[in-house]
Amino acid sequence: MTETTSVAPTQADVAIAKADRRQILKVEHLKGAFARYKILALVVAIAIIWALFTQLTGGDFLTARNLSNLLRQMAINGMVATGMVFVIISGEIDLSVGSLLGLMGGLAAIFDVTYHLPLFVTIPLVMLLGAMVGAFNGYWVAFLRVPSFIVTLAGFLAFRGVLLGVTGGVTIAPVSPALISVSQSYLPDVAGYGLGVLVFATLALTTLRSRAKRAQHGLSVPPMAVDLGKLAVAAVVIVGFFGILDAYRGVPLPVLIVLVLLGAFTVMARRTVFGRRIYAVGGNLEATRLSGVNVQMVKLAVFALMGAMAALAGIATTARLAAGSPSAGTGQELDAIAACIIGGTSMRGGAGTVFGALIGALIIATLDNGMSMLGVDTYWQMIVKGLILLLAVWLDVATSTKR
Amino acid sequence: MSDYLLEMRGITKSFSGVKALDGIDLRVRPGECVGLCGENGAGKSTMMKVLSAVHPYGSWGGTILWNGQELRCTTIKESEEAGIVIIHQELMLIPQLSVAENIFLGREPRTFGGMIDFDAMYVEAARLLSGLRMGHINPVQPVSNYAGGEQQLIEIAKALSKNAKLLILDEPTSSLTKSETAILLRLVKDLKSRGTACVYISHKLEEIEEIADSVTVIRDGRFVGDAPMADLTTSDIIRMMVGREMNNLFPREEHPIGEIVFEAIGITCLDPENRLRKRVDDVSFSLRKGEILGIAGLVGAGRTELVSALFGAYRGTHSGEVKIDGKLVKIRNPREAVRHGLCMVPEDRKAHGIVPGLGVGYNITLSVLDDFTKAGLIDEAQEFATIGDAIKRLRIKTASPLLPISNLSGGNQQKAVISKMLEPKPRVLILDEPTRGVDVGAKYEIYKLMFSLVREGMSIIMVSSELPEVLGISDRVLVIGEGELRGDFINDDTLTQERVLTAAITPLKRAA
Repeated sequence: MTETTSVAPTQADVAIAKADRRQILKVEHLKGAFARYKILALVVAIAIIWALFTQLTGGDFLTARNLSNLLRQMAINGMVATGMVFVIISGEIDLSVGSLLGLMGGLAAIFDVTYHLPLFVTIPLVMLLGAMVGAFNGYWVAFLRVPSFIVTLAGFLAFRGVLLGVTGGVTIAPVSPALISVSQSYLPDVAGYGLGVLVFATLALTTLRSRAKRAQHGLSVPPMAVDLGKLAVAAVVIVGFFGILDAYRGVPLPVLIVLVLLGAFTVMARRTVFGRRIYAVGGNLEATRLSGVNVQMVKLAVFALMGAMAALAGIATTARLAAGSPSAGTGQELDAIAACIIGGTSMRGGAGTVFGALIGALIIATLDNGMSMLGVDTYWQMIVKGLILLLAVWLDVATSTKR
Repeated sequence: MSDYLLEMRGITKSFSGVKALDGIDLRVRPGECVGLCGENGAGKSTMMKVLSAVHPYGSWGGTILWNGQELRCTTIKESEEAGIVIIHQELMLIPQLSVAENIFLGREPRTFGGMIDFDAMYVEAARLLSGLRMGHINPVQPVSNYAGGEQQLIEIAKALSKNAKLLILDEPTSSLTKSETAILLRLVKDLKSRGTACVYISHKLEEIEEIADSVTVIRDGRFVGDAPMADLTTSDIIRMMVGREMNNLFPREEHPIGEIVFEAIGITCLDPENRLRKRVDDVSFSLRKGEILGIAGLVGAGRTELVSALFGAYRGTHSGEVKIDGKLVKIRNPREAVRHGLCMVPEDRKAHGIVPGLGVGYNITLSVLDDFTKAGLIDEAQEFATIGDAIKRLRIKTASPLLPISNLSGGNQQKAVISKMLEPKPRVLILDEPTRGVDVGAKYEIYKLMFSLVREGMSIIMVSSELPEVLGISDRVLVIGEGELRGDFINDDTLTQERVLTAAITPLKRAA
């Protein structure tokens, strides 16, 4: 009786739903492709920006000297971003790193200037202190369940306060030549080329090894041509990178440190239990907890790592300024967060890479450097950086396939 | 002409091709209270969503007559203006706002200048509340100052302030204490005598018996029958609710049952929101090696709370002891539970089971990753061997072990979550609603797996809201009702759905 009236609209509904679905699938497919090749898109974006700046500066931008400087400028933000990316992947945020960077840089200066501690004591000591302060933040977040935004906002205020207290608000100088060399020294050319060969050999070996492994475990193996193509691109980038740096003074030590961090943290993210758990905690904290994982310790460790990286960046900052400055690192937390987000780290947690974060840092450094060369006013620089960040997050939201 | 206030005729509703409602009738006279009964998933809530236009006109089939006129509401607001107001299972009050602000939310009286006229609002609220014999509730106080039962009363006052002619109460007492329930029932009777009709949905048949004038029973989305309450007994209603044929969906296999391996003693859980209320009340039971223990009960009976407490995952205050092999063990968190050989597959797969962005394989090894480390790194060869075995054993259909788990179907996700909790090689496995949202084929495979696990000597506790599943799989059945252990049956031929359901709704004191 009511069957006919009730079934008919349902079938119509189904037909409409199917047509909609096809349309949606098409859009989703495009979005998926964009999300998958986000890093590639970022690299292309860098190439475009570089070309633009080269054009506008009449070639001054693309000189060995300027690129070497650009990478050195990027190094400190890169150090902080490599720690920040794990904090964000785990679903938290750290607003205290700028102040912590300043405090640790100040302590490094005090140990160096006032107590004349040798460098091999100062560096590990400051990094240990940084890790401890980070762990303190992590304890509040993981065990006392205060939101990380609040905990680290408190740290943002308090650590800067401690810095002003211990330095008396004055610049601490002059630091020893040994400490300055952390920022100002370069690898000899030969070592630079050697390093390039080493990086390429490692990449080639990992690619081959992973192909063998995938085949062994019955996973799909990408066509050899694709992997060879990727390696060829990598070879060009590596030759270009080390060639340009060696054409100036060699690989700057801070850049080398960032490269080492990139390698070490990429291995940590992909191949260690801790790394896997950071992604799991950020992806679904409750499911991870119910799997028998100590999620609180994971969070604490992530914050401790962040603290150590802030300390390292603090030492590099003091070395670069040749002094411990009470205002060092102001606003650094925002640059690091922006680098992570531009580099494809999801604010929802659970997704992101160290490589992406460093690409993000490179984009920010490029904008700073290029616009300064063009004599663009600082206020415009800030506006442009803000817009780029907004655009990056919008792309992340618009292209994510899930809600 | 019609002597009915509301007539719903032949209501049908499908969700992506699956019929949730298939020709259901419901009739309500003015001033009458109709009890709507049915098992979990029978379609009661869907029916009420059709009526209150949560599912708008056009998305379902059949007709609704309201005072003899056809009703075609497309928004909740329209149905409320007609006089149909639904009070949901979860309260929809804003705790920080005052009682009066909640009652008039979205319809606040305004002064000439457009500001909220608080005086008028308080006066009106006080008048409304005292008219409902709720004079003890102060309209100026924030809602959070009142307990769950009083909040329920405030919801009703809010509904009546919208001139409700028909009030729909969906499981209104599921989170109330016994004395709070009594007050609520008295209010509903009051309303009836003033001519407000109501549809009362509840698993608690003694409440239905007390206040309903007639009863409508639905089962698996179909209309079973309606009759005046005076002509019915609770056992009639139960027979109408279950009367389902058992089919051979359940591949029951013989398996030996050994010594007691696990004991729970005096487990009590307090409601984290309403500490006066016990979600689980002094439940004790034991489990033998190779046994499948089914835990039956209606939704909200406290079964999930019970097993979460055993697994160390219950968020509120709880007490009780757990013995494994006769030895007392302390389980304070899931990590310790896993270490003691107790694993749990949680009820809510999406929120508590999967890590969506991680690959299927990485989800499976999440619980045992520590076992695969070599020189600080994960031994990929060993990890992938384990993943491969698990995928083969549970026949998880996935294009690649690295595919994000969220791309899989519900059944395959569930199989992966079960695999994850099998990796630590538990002695006792808790499965909370293991086949919810799982297609028939995957269900069958999960049952098969359960039997092969118990033959290997594992013991299984299975919480399930589907009685045929409980009776088709379990060796023994525990029945939980309102937090109490109301039955412990050996599952032989004499155990029927009627006996289980009767136990579930019979409070202990009456049974004793």
